[in-house]
Amino acid sequence: MDAEVRVERLSKTYYPKQRKGLFKSERREVQALREVSLEIRRGEIFGLLGPNGAGKTTLIKCLTTLLLPTSGDAWLHGYHIVEQENLVRAAVGCMLMGERGLYWKLTGRENLIFFGALYHLPPKDRRRRAEEILGLLHLQDLADRTVETYSSGQKMMLAFGKALVNDAPVLILDEPTNTLDVPSARELRAHVRELNASGKTVVYTTHIMAEAETLCERVAIIDHGQVIDLGTVDELKRSLQRDHVTHIEGIIPERASQAVAALPQVTKLATSVANGTTRLTVVSSDGRAALPRLIEALTAHGALIQNIAPEEITLEDVFVAKTGRSLTEDTRVR
Amino acid sequence: MIAEASLGSKLSIVLATARMRMLNVSRYKGQLFVEILIPIVFAAMPILLGRATGGAAAEANFLRNTGTANYPAFMLIGSSTFIIVTFAFWLVGYWIRFEQETGTLEAIYLTPTSRVWNAAGIALYSAIRSMISGSVAYLIGSLIFGVNPLQGQLLLALAFILVGLVPLFGMTLLFGALVMKVKEANSLVNLMQWTVSLLMGVFFPVAVFPPLMRLLALAFPPTWMVNGVRSALLGVGYFFGEWYLDLAVLWGFLLIAPLLGFWVFSGMERNIRRREGVGEY
Ligand SMILES: Nc1ncnc2c1ncn2[C@@H]1O[C@H](COP(=O)(O)OP(=O)(O)O)[C@@H](O)[C@H]1O
Ligand SMILES: [Mg+2]
Repeated sequence: MDAEVRVERLSKTYYPKQRKGLFKSERREVQALREVSLEIRRGEIFGLLGPNGAGKTTLIKCLTTLLLPTSGDAWLHGYHIVEQENLVRAAVGCMLMGERGLYWKLTGRENLIFFGALYHLPPKDRRRRAEEILGLLHLQDLADRTVETYSSGQKMMLAFGKALVNDAPVLILDEPTNTLDVPSARELRAHVRELNASGKTVVYTTHIMAEAETLCERVAIIDHGQVIDLGTVDELKRSLQRDHVTHIEGIIPERASQAVAALPQVTKLATSVANGTTRLTVVSSDGRAALPRLIEALTAHGALIQNIAPEEITLEDVFVAKTGRSLTEDTRVR
Repeated sequence: MIAEASLGSKLSIVLATARMRMLNVSRYKGQLFVEILIPIVFAAMPILLGRATGGAAAEANFLRNTGTANYPAFMLIGSSTFIIVTFAFWLVGYWIRFEQETGTLEAIYLTPTSRVWNAAGIALYSAIRSMISGSVAYLIGSLIFGVNPLQGQLLLALAFILVGLVPLFGMTLLFGALVMKVKEANSLVNLMQWTVSLLMGVFFPVAVFPPLMRLLALAFPPTWMVNGVRSALLGVGYFFGEWYLDLAVLWGFLLIAPLLGFWVFSGMERNIRRREGVGEY
């Protein structure tokens, strides 16, 4: 199978200024990407999954020529991202920054036509393409209103439409459903599947595990600028089979989860709290045998268990097993 | 399907960019109206000051210093040309920073187009918009202050403006690179406006400047532009005596300034892409 995107030991270091009061500042080093290597195959939907700050957007910006990498190489549709930047740009449709990439004082149609020009479409084709996209995304009714009057979801849809203007072989979407409500997000993913079925390679970043799981064929899990695992969703899950994952929900005091963590069978533990309910993700080494011990340890320390769901492995579990942390932000690290 | 674009389609981007900006500004009609008033108000101050303080010998003095007794027209030409120069700084110089602030800069950098063509489109837009504002202001101002706006060689005046615009835009690109460096435009544009209006001789002939300042003023294309227009319309006298010599100097600027502008601009561009990327502001 052909590689549509090939990344070889790509690194990017930022040197942001650290402000120290009124006049003083010093440069700090942020390694946003550390020797990332991966291949994305022609025609697949490839997920980049990682928590906020993992380096997903930085990777996308390097691939789309907005940023020059500090070191390493990458090719997209056969073109080198530094040496052949205009060809790379022509080969990619990209949704980045969502609604901020639109001209708010122009109408939806005017936006699409203008970007059509920047992608070198002849005037007639610009209009035709704009109509096609407006039709595809059901935006015709909004087409002649200025973007500032759109709802945030409608703006995101138009931003998605902008990524389709040049009908490029590669579609790169950076957290496209970020500010969308559930039905709109579902609609957008349906469009992505259709576009993929029509032959486009899709690179899709998200910090939402379920999204990567339902949409992507293969996923790279990124954390702290490194690819920590890569494979099909099934492969990633199967790699955990030796480990046993149990989700326990309930009212669980800190000392109870500490007691679970202290059990010899438990290799990793992540805790997240939502609506007063604590959710433990426990990775244990000797399968079901550990379960009675878990329950014992929890109840002995005053936990009120409401639900136990063993063995339903998700990509989130893969992330936990690899990093010891949860993908969501409200995570306490053990 | 994927190929480097042809020259025709690059030129088409110039038109599309200018058109997009026109559409954009057409949604601020009130602003367009106010803009036309600015040069008139701006010229009214020295004209009225002249009437109040000039006394009996005013026109004769003005004629001796400037080569024309028609000081209202002199001021109006100065302020109308000044508005053209100001627009160039705000619309072309500030353009890239403006798109960065609104968030559209990354979107245009994603497209397979050199920024040269976008900049040219913005320059075309700035030229059209400011020429209309400047001429309408000159016309209305002339009627208000009772001078004939259609005197002199109008086509020659237009030639000085058109030729002068190109080096002006080149200069503003230099300025734009500076704005991207300091990431703040307001005080810079303000500073530039006053420096420029002083140097180009909006209200005074360059002849009354002290020698060093005069030299500085002559290194500055708008000075030649405004003096060319005044000479064509009011006969104040070309710096080198003949219109074609002065126009040739402007042509010289035209060949150098845009190249210099783009050179500095591309350096700035590469630098930003190497550091944090074009979207950060
Ligand atoms: N312009 C920048 N200057 C300095 N640091 C940055 C900049 N952009 C991103 N970073 C840092 O780089 C890391 C990766 O960020 P990013 O690629 O945006 O992650 P993600 O998209 O996965 O949330 C983070 O630590 C972030 O703070
Ligand atoms: Mg991001």
